[in-house]
Amino acid sequence: MTGHLKSWPFVLALSIISAPIVLMYSYLFIDTITNSPPGSFIPHEFTLEHWRFLWETRPGKPSIWRVTLNSFLFASSSCLVVLVVSSTAGYVLSRLNVPGRAFFLAGVMVLHAFPAVTLIVAIFLVLQMVGLYNSLIGVILVKAAIDMPLGIWIMKGFYDTVPWEIEMAGIADGASRFTVWRKLVLPQVKPGLFALGLFAFLLGWSEFILPQVLAPGGDVQVLSVYLAGLIADDNNFDMAMFKSVGLFYIAPVLILFLFFQKYLMNIYGGGTKG
Amino acid sequence: MSASRDIVEAAAVPAGAAAASAHPPRWRAGWLNSSRGLGLILLMPALVLVVLFFLMPVVLTGVFAFTNMSTATGISGGTYQVTPGALRELADRHGMDELAEKLGQPSFVVDEQGLKALEEMGIEPAIIADLREGHLGETHASRREFERMLRDLPERPDTRTVKRISGEFSRSLANSRFSSRESLLAAAEGVDPELTEEEKTALVQATYTGWVWTADNFRRMASSRDTVRILLNTIFFVATTLIIFNTAFAMLLAITTHYIPERPAGIFRIIWFLPRISPAVIYVLLWKWFAWDTGFLSAFLDNFGIRPRNWMLDTAANAWFFVIVINGFVGASMGMVIFSSAIKAIPESLFHAASVDGAYRWQQVRHIILPQLKWPILFVTCYQTLSLLTSIEQTLLATDGGPGGATEIWSLAIYHTALNNYAGNLQYGYGAAMALVLVVIGIVLSLIYLRVFNYRALVAKPRIEL
Repeated sequence: MTGHLKSWPFVLALSIISAPIVLMYSYLFIDTITNSPPGSFIPHEFTLEHWRFLWETRPGKPSIWRVTLNSFLFASSSCLVVLVVSSTAGYVLSRLNVPGRAFFLAGVMVLHAFPAVTLIVAIFLVLQMVGLYNSLIGVILVKAAIDMPLGIWIMKGFYDTVPWEIEMAGIADGASRFTVWRKLVLPQVKPGLFALGLFAFLLGWSEFILPQVLAPGGDVQVLSVYLAGLIADDNNFDMAMFKSVGLFYIAPVLILFLFFQKYLMNIYGGGTKG
Repeated sequence: MSASRDIVEAAAVPAGAAAASAHPPRWRAGWLNSSRGLGLILLMPALVLVVLFFLMPVVLTGVFAFTNMSTATGISGGTYQVTPGALRELADRHGMDELAEKLGQPSFVVDEQGLKALEEMGIEPAIIADLREGHLGETHASRREFERMLRDLPERPDTRTVKRISGEFSRSLANSRFSSRESLLAAAEGVDPELTEEEKTALVQATYTGWVWTADNFRRMASSRDTVRILLNTIFFVATTLIIFNTAFAMLLAITTHYIPERPAGIFRIIWFLPRISPAVIYVLLWKWFAWDTGFLSAFLDNFGIRPRNWMLDTAANAWFFVIVINGFVGASMGMVIFSSAIKAIPESLFHAASVDGAYRWQQVRHIILPQLKWPILFVTCYQTLSLLTSIEQTLLATDGGPGGATEIWSLAIYHTALNNYAGNLQYGYGAAMALVLVVIGIVLSLIYLRVFNYRALVAKPRIEL
């Protein structure tokens, strides 16, 4: 649009300020499969030794596959809860005339902005009192509850775009409002469910502080807690191994993001179209 | 733009539509068909989660803030232990030195319990009778005094018997444990039958090992020098990150990507999204690789004769630099997306007109772009202030508040007080009091946020473009 204005100075400036990120993420790949001489960053040999953690379990640490399974269970369960809760509550707030609807709408907005991490001390004590400390179920519910306001907000936005005629037609044909929602409206918001599901899964997969505080035990450890534990252990400093575990952990995120960036960028950017 | 009016307008649409469907041809289950009943049922799961994980924790944060819960007190009830520490507290804090000394030292009380024990041991009945008639209820502060009394008895027990008898009457409370207030007081009255109510209360307080209600947390917070330091750290951290990265730098990214062709712009957007989508643990690990003494920065600067060091933790200034950059790079992408779409919404004709007029890019930015960004900047500022105030993951993983507490921010201090520290004594109550401060700020700011942005958010239906 600004054809006669040169763009290369901007590209150059952006390249310079982006260099640290590009460098760090390039070396996340390079360092996991190569060795470099000390003091240099140019690899001189190819190796797979940094990936030993896949088949060798360190003494005192849970197996990587156990941890991965925990991560998967944690992310997919909290994603499922978010989906169920958001798809029902979002519909109510978009379409149904419930008492106090205005109040609920305002409530969702406040919760969306409210920093739930400040509640972690109280949640920690409650989970200890009810015996859900160090269990996946407890931390899954907490994670789902924290992501829920954004989910409701996103699903409400999708329901808002569904034409009223579809529901009118359904009701005219004698279907109950529940059936209309289930059979007619829900299929219309499938893209929304997909985007939200993807997003909630990635949020769960990346979460660190909740499992670190609420479920740090070996049996229920997730990948983020496992990796943070490896890094914090001063006796086994092995940057290439940390990076290999890190790459193993981040790979699903990068793949999903590259495939579905259009879906995700808008939600990551705060959930609203500013 | 009043908030309540906007909501009412928005609510009016479904209300009308519900009226249109008020006469369905036939009814099935009642709740399935009424908008109200179905609505409440479908809303139920969300309500349950809100009550359990938002409302209740908010209230409980307030409740726990008024206790002295810690690892030492446990989170359920405790017992009453007469430890040396408890006795010292009794003396120092309540000024009851005498009582503390009495309770701590072995004292000798002539009571039925002891007399019964003597009978079982087979001590001469005459001695027992003497003791019961002449000395029942007496208390002697030391073994010597008690044994002198025994030797003065008409029956004159021999030395061995004296020792055996005095063992049975020793009534020391030191290092004993009681499961209830009543049993503690009963035992204490055995030592000193003339305990006043005040002394009883002090004794119970000093020996109780469980948590109690207290406002000390707030007193301590108000008087502690750490509080001031952490508060200043937090203000510095939030203000600097917000101004440099979340707004200014994000705007720079949005404007520069606006002026370059779509393809490279897309690549740069993806690059700047990497910090946001990456799990914090890996993202910070990459920065550590970059900054550590064997890392990239040290190796690079080594070429210029600068000694390798851990740049992230060697001085307070460097630590702050990395904390702000690490958090800022994550925050920049949100502003970038929001500012970009605001710039995209500017009619192209405006730019063309400006170009025809020979306006430089800087003039375009000043007179066309920046005025359009006023509202998004306010939005990003509000939203990011809250997230920065409560952000913890990146700073925890990068410097953990170091070196020497230089980068300890409020949220991290809560974590270190109540959830994880080297000393192992987690002060849940004090941590909850610190968290309560953030909870209150969070509630106030999100209500303001609702007030300011309600209208926009409700009208500009949030939608993901496909």
